[in-house]
Amino acid sequence: MEETKILLDENELPKKWYNVIADLPTPPAPPLNPGTGEPIGPEDLAPIFPMELIKQEVSQDKWIAIPEEIRDIWRIWRPSPLIRAHRLEKALDTKAKIYYKWEGVSPPGSHKPNTAVAQAYYNMKAGVERISTETGAGQWGSALAFATKIFDLKCTVYMVRVSYDQKPYRKMLMHAWGAEVHSSPTNLTNAGKKIREEHPDTSGSLGIAISEAVEDAATHDNTNYSLGSVLNHVCMHQTVIGLEAQKQLEKVEDKADVIIGCAGGGSNFSGLASPFIGDMLTGKNPGLEVIAVEPTACPTMTKGVFAYDFGDTAQMTPLLKMYTLGHDFIPPAIHAGGLRYHGMAPLVSHLIHEGYVKAEAYHQNEVFDAAKLFAQTEGLVIAPETAHAVKSVIEAAKNAKEEKTIVFNCSGHGNFDMSAYETYYEGKLLDYEYPEDLIKQSLAKLPKVE
Amino acid sequence: MDSVGFIVNPLAGLGGSVGLKGSDGLADEALKRGAKPNSEKRALKALESVPKQILYKFLTCRGSMGESVLKKAGFSCETVYTPGKRTTASDTKKACEIFKEQCVSLIVFAGGDGTARDVFEVVGSEIPILGIPAGVKMHSAVFALNPKACGELIKLFIEEKVECLDAEVIDVDEKAYRRNVLSTKLFGIAKTPYMKEATQAGKTVLHAEKNAHALEDLAKFTASFMEEDTLYFLGAGSTTKAVADEFKLDKTLLGVDTFFNDKIIGKDLSEKEILKLLNSHSKSKIIVSPTGRQGFVFGRGNQQFSPKVLRKVGVKNVIVIATPQKLKETPVLHVDTGDLKLDAKFGKHLRVVCGWKLAARLKLS
Repeated sequence: MEETKILLDENELPKKWYNVIADLPTPPAPPLNPGTGEPIGPEDLAPIFPMELIKQEVSQDKWIAIPEEIRDIWRIWRPSPLIRAHRLEKALDTKAKIYYKWEGVSPPGSHKPNTAVAQAYYNMKAGVERISTETGAGQWGSALAFATKIFDLKCTVYMVRVSYDQKPYRKMLMHAWGAEVHSSPTNLTNAGKKIREEHPDTSGSLGIAISEAVEDAATHDNTNYSLGSVLNHVCMHQTVIGLEAQKQLEKVEDKADVIIGCAGGGSNFSGLASPFIGDMLTGKNPGLEVIAVEPTACPTMTKGVFAYDFGDTAQMTPLLKMYTLGHDFIPPAIHAGGLRYHGMAPLVSHLIHEGYVKAEAYHQNEVFDAAKLFAQTEGLVIAPETAHAVKSVIEAAKNAKEEKTIVFNCSGHGNFDMSAYETYYEGKLLDYEYPEDLIKQSLAKLPKVE
Repeated sequence: MDSVGFIVNPLAGLGGSVGLKGSDGLADEALKRGAKPNSEKRALKALESVPKQILYKFLTCRGSMGESVLKKAGFSCETVYTPGKRTTASDTKKACEIFKEQCVSLIVFAGGDGTARDVFEVVGSEIPILGIPAGVKMHSAVFALNPKACGELIKLFIEEKVECLDAEVIDVDEKAYRRNVLSTKLFGIAKTPYMKEATQAGKTVLHAEKNAHALEDLAKFTASFMEEDTLYFLGAGSTTKAVADEFKLDKTLLGVDTFFNDKIIGKDLSEKEILKLLNSHSKSKIIVSPTGRQGFVFGRGNQQFSPKVLRKVGVKNVIVIATPQKLKETPVLHVDTGDLKLDAKFGKHLRVVCGWKLAARLKLS
């Protein structure tokens, strides 16, 4: 049998991040200050981000050096293995070769600490004492809790209410790394109090939790804000995934034909995809197909509009040009909490809009069908978010009429999501959808303001 | 040789398409309104799935109370009771007394909750009972999902491949029902052959939504997407009534009312009245909510939405709404219009609007 795990040495850990914006014919549109309508400047972000991250956010440089201190922490679990899915291929009886980048090996169990460590490092260097953040299913919150503890920073996590209830072990993991965790919306911020008054039974959303975390950072001098996805610098930190995957494929003399990743905010997807899209843009792999996958319950890329919108519900962030379902959209309480975001990274949105990436959406039950097949062939029990990518991989493999190489980001394990799996096995998972036609009809009846 | 008691209520279901909410004591009124008897057709459909060479014998009643259907379906039978010219509940009960004396293993009846109640009164839980759904109201849990499923269950029972479980016999107070008041009563617990895919659940009357905001959000969203110059037929139940409340309009709880440009233009309509309105309007939609726990979108309690009405409106113009709580208790939906080809047009899944800008896709059995 051909190799299963394709590994790299620690000294093969990438030394630079790749910024795909440098290779794009047109860059994504800049974020705007909602008050002035002008592109934001560093001074707009300085109250909540350290200057190094602000520079990365607006950089046009193709390569940005990764500090040794960050690489040192990454050595605990990186480079992550690229695994050939022999057993899944056999079960599907497919002509395709399937590889997955297994990011579940990190201490928090997903790709998130790739950027959490970087962000904690830069905040530490800037003298910040505490970081506030939001988390959906808890993957990001636990990654930041892990990273802040390493650099001896305090961490406050606003966890989306429905996930706080659904994923108690994620909350316990954050406590294990010394973070304080609150069920959002809370009574600790004005944003939280307002939502609690208007919608006391809300299941919460990432949009609301972001508002709370941003308000916390903006109102405390010793506190900065850290975001788990969406922004350029976060997407760029994750390119370590794709850069390693390129080297690993070279080792087995293979070349990617299809790149697939699930997308909630866009960072794990673009982390794998960006270096390969770079190959597409520079003519090294012009025929590459790239697919971003989301839930039908929160179909930002497949049913959203490409427009400027706030990144959070309380309208505290700048306006971002992205695919959006509206900043007031509260996605239904699906188990893939990390994909419950009304927007999408401006970078990923731009790539879709320009035609480099296509988007797919699947229902919750068929996603768990895919997760079950993956667990029963490859052995790994993966996160519900990650299972969206697996569903798309299975479809691509089943439809493959000739040999092709599919590479996907296996972004996290599902060890803390077993209650979701149980609900699926009990047949109690609802396949939520976004009734686009009815929403259009509803909006058409709104008064038109000249 | 073991035997199965077989009984058809020839007047069951008469009230449905003419909006009478039930048929007890109203057969003449229903017939005057143009209602056509349906139970024989439903019973024949059920018998199609039962193999002719069975080791059980059928005991039944003369004429339209069972014999004619069994003979049409190609089964031999023994008639043990002869009813009067116009059959009544008393005939059902007398026939069941004889079935009981003859120690039948199972009683199959074509009817609704009223007939179920009559059968249960005589046999209690001593003899399993199974209903071919042919009435207006079928809240009880002793009915098969549809006539074909009933035939499957009879076959499985005879082959001893299905167990009999407790099943609620429920009925509503029909007089109160006609006054727009829903008042159900549990008559007792019968035994019925049970298979998840074939036996219907007892209906839950959801008097209060655990999350009151959920119904409000759903009603608000539904009201927001109802278009102008379009006829909307709102089906029975508290969920559709909540939509009317958004417009501050008084909808009948248990009837089909029609909306047009934010006004009610018809209340508690029969099939005939619905068809008349459809002839004079080009755009129309139906908004219905499935029966709680049972999950019937069409075929239970809203037979005014006959196959003719549904074909005229169009399957794609049917909007199903339900709160998340109802959906959690109703994992699978059913459509039993009486027209199998029409039922099939609904596909394998139905979209159910369940909140503000929210829907869920449910399996349709």
